[in-house]
Amino acid sequence: MPRDNELPTTDGGVRNHIRTLRFMKKEITQQDLADRIGVSRQTLNAIEGGKYSPSLEVAFKIARVFGKPLEEVFEYVGK
Amino acid sequence: MLPSFEEKSVWVQLVSLIVGVGAYFAVSGMMLSNGVVALVPYIPVFMVSVGLLVVVMVVGHIIAAVTGKPEPRDERDRLIGWRAESNSSWLLATGVFGAITALAFGIEAVWVAHLLLASMFLSEMLKLLLQLMYYRRGV
Repeated sequence: MPRDNELPTTDGGVRNHIRTLRFMKKEITQQDLADRIGVSRQTLNAIEGGKYSPSLEVAFKIARVFGKPLEEVFEYVGK
Repeated sequence: MLPSFEEKSVWVQLVSLIVGVGAYFAVSGMMLSNGVVALVPYIPVFMVSVGLLVVVMVVGHIIAAVTGKPEPRDERDRLIGWRAESNSSWLLATGVFGAITALAFGIEAVWVAHLLLASMFLSEMLKLLLQLMYYRRGV
């Protein structure tokens, strides 16, 4: 499991735990997760890699897939 | 990471724009240098160039669809489109301002028309290049 300071963080200071959660949830693939939340695999990859901050709607959808509250998937660490 | 269908579509638009509009400016540039100042002779050249642009775009999108699953635009695609549009529209505005200035100084209509066409072309090309940059570097 990556340490917190190794997690991808957006320029705006939002860090996510999607990769870890995907592997904890029977290794759900990026494509499966992307299909379930209604974005392309490339967009999910950008979110996971900290290159794009999703809308609240997509963030909540991701959290719902993992059955976690939003703050366990995304956290604000500042710039 | 392979590009999404939307990113491939941007590449197709860029290539078709360069081929279509590039062909137009290659021919019209020669006509202008030969002193053709009436606008009417440029119309068939423009029509053929637009036809060429459409053909390249259709063929490119068919190839993009065959080589990968077409997906609808998502929120990131829309944001990238908006941001690229916002950061490229100044070029078109500059061309329009230049055209108005040229008209005020009595420059021939053929030059004004081509200044407007060039600014539209360059603005669109900048938009597509910015989109590709945002897809790769993040937005």
